[in-house]
Amino acid sequence: MNPQRLQQIRSKIEALEAMPAVPAIVLPLTAMLQLPADQVNMEKIVELVSYDGTIAAQCLRMANSPLFGRRNADTVRGAILALGLKRIEAILLGCCLNRIVPPDKWAFDPATFWRHSLGCALVSRKMANLIGYPDPEKAYLAGLLHDLGMLVNTLVSTDDFRNCIQAARDGHMALYRSEEEHLGFTHCESGKMLAEHWHFSGDVIDVIEFHHSAAAPAGATLVALVHLSDLLCRLRDLGYGYYEAMGVDFAGDSAWATLVESYPALTNIDLARLTMDIDESMGEIVAVVDAVFKP
Amino acid sequence: MATGIARPTMESEDLRDPAYLKIRDAIYQISGIYQPEEKLYLLASRCARRMSALNAKTPTEYLEYLTIRGNREAELRLLLNEITIGETYMFRSPPQLEALRNVILPQILQAKKAMGFKRLHIWSAGCSTGEEPHTLAMFLLEESEKMLAGWTFDILATDLNDRSLAAAKAGIYGEYALRSTTDRLRKKYFRPYDDKQLQATEQLKSLIRFDRVNLNDDMKMTFLKGMDLIFCCNVLIYFDLGSKRKVLQHFFANLLPGGYLFLGHSETLYQVDDRFHLVHFPGSTGYLKPPIGYTGGGKP
Repeated sequence: MNPQRLQQIRSKIEALEAMPAVPAIVLPLTAMLQLPADQVNMEKIVELVSYDGTIAAQCLRMANSPLFGRRNADTVRGAILALGLKRIEAILLGCCLNRIVPPDKWAFDPATFWRHSLGCALVSRKMANLIGYPDPEKAYLAGLLHDLGMLVNTLVSTDDFRNCIQAARDGHMALYRSEEEHLGFTHCESGKMLAEHWHFSGDVIDVIEFHHSAAAPAGATLVALVHLSDLLCRLRDLGYGYYEAMGVDFAGDSAWATLVESYPALTNIDLARLTMDIDESMGEIVAVVDAVFKP
Repeated sequence: MATGIARPTMESEDLRDPAYLKIRDAIYQISGIYQPEEKLYLLASRCARRMSALNAKTPTEYLEYLTIRGNREAELRLLLNEITIGETYMFRSPPQLEALRNVILPQILQAKKAMGFKRLHIWSAGCSTGEEPHTLAMFLLEESEKMLAGWTFDILATDLNDRSLAAAKAGIYGEYALRSTTDRLRKKYFRPYDDKQLQATEQLKSLIRFDRVNLNDDMKMTFLKGMDLIFCCNVLIYFDLGSKRKVLQHFFANLLPGGYLFLGHSETLYQVDDRFHLVHFPGSTGYLKPPIGYTGGGKP
């Protein structure tokens, strides 16, 4: 880690607060995302969606597309009903976080980023349900946000980060390894700074900071869960647009051991079947993300 | 040209019938074959053939034949036969070859070199009409100028079906089998046979030894030792659990430590064999026979 670079990043992140509208909608949204579906306040969602004309229009357009809503929705409320709560949450969070990066600053295709994030969210929740993790919605949120630092890196050191991605792609290596080499810090570190700045909850911040690290706090099951989901997504074409050269024996991963200790049901998971499920949900993930980010 | 299976003219509403999902799950349970949702139309078309033979009117009625009627096992088998019909083609799984190139072969070469061996043995078990062993032969020959320089290698290709084996030995392929084979490789490893087909060159054929092997034949299976890689794709689906376990015992014994077994895209060893370690590669999976002192997979 390069302390000087990190300090520069920190000051840039602090300046982010001045950016329009972003934190205003992110905080209530992340709070809402953690509620069980039956406790979500419909009026609140309508309000959040209506908060931003572009997002509202996006939702209406998607609701009326044969891919999703398949019905004539002409109000925000109708669009929410047609699309379903989970899709709305993903669209909202995606749209508003997407805004923190101006269109010309993206170091990679934003659709690729959101496919990975949404994929990881879905796999984290699925795995949480399979092993009896008590808070599957938290797992979904943590999966959705785990790579937040990629947005920070793309925003504050666009060119360096672009080179970094190219180097990772050329070397078939994990992005965080390339970041260590070319940037001096990783998206885990920068993501943690932004998450702290935005007052995310401690366990989500841990996921952002430690999802690639062996130094995760002892018994950090959420970190382990998202780490495994992230890895699985990167192995199933939901990574950053390239394949890393890797062979992963999940049962031999230290995160697996951490998770098994608290959730022995993990050892009974049919991992091959879970992998096929991921492939199966790929169509839906790609359709949602492309509808939002590739108008 | 064979085009695989035509999409049936079926209302998409029919495909949403939850009975198909139950049939899908029944098939998965019995055979490990999994039909992803986007392929349900295939399942539906295969069911349709059985349904018309039985005069079953709806998927729900057909599901009864598969689950509660007296001859359900026979019916499942008939449906499985329908499902596993299908031609294959060369270079069907590029991610598998990438895993070989980027991860598996470097591992195996390093371990074997340390022991002073520079020879690889690969087995295509259930090779059908030979698309798989010919793909592997091309892959190895291409690598022989790179990472396999100085190495020798051979491919054993076996099948139970005499007709398939004869076709595999002849090595004559049409457009369907070659659909994913690049022009460069076609020119390098094939010669024109007639105006529609190509035949594998002697160089390619010389790497492959064909033999008739019944995977249930314990005697024969015992003598196929020393394999680095075994490919057995969409073959074990025809076996019941007991014989599947027996075959896997042989595969395990026949593989060298550190060797890999590859199954078909939708097959798993879940609850079949727990000595192999499932290893994920980008876009594919393999089953590792753990080497001595193995402590788990390397992470990137």
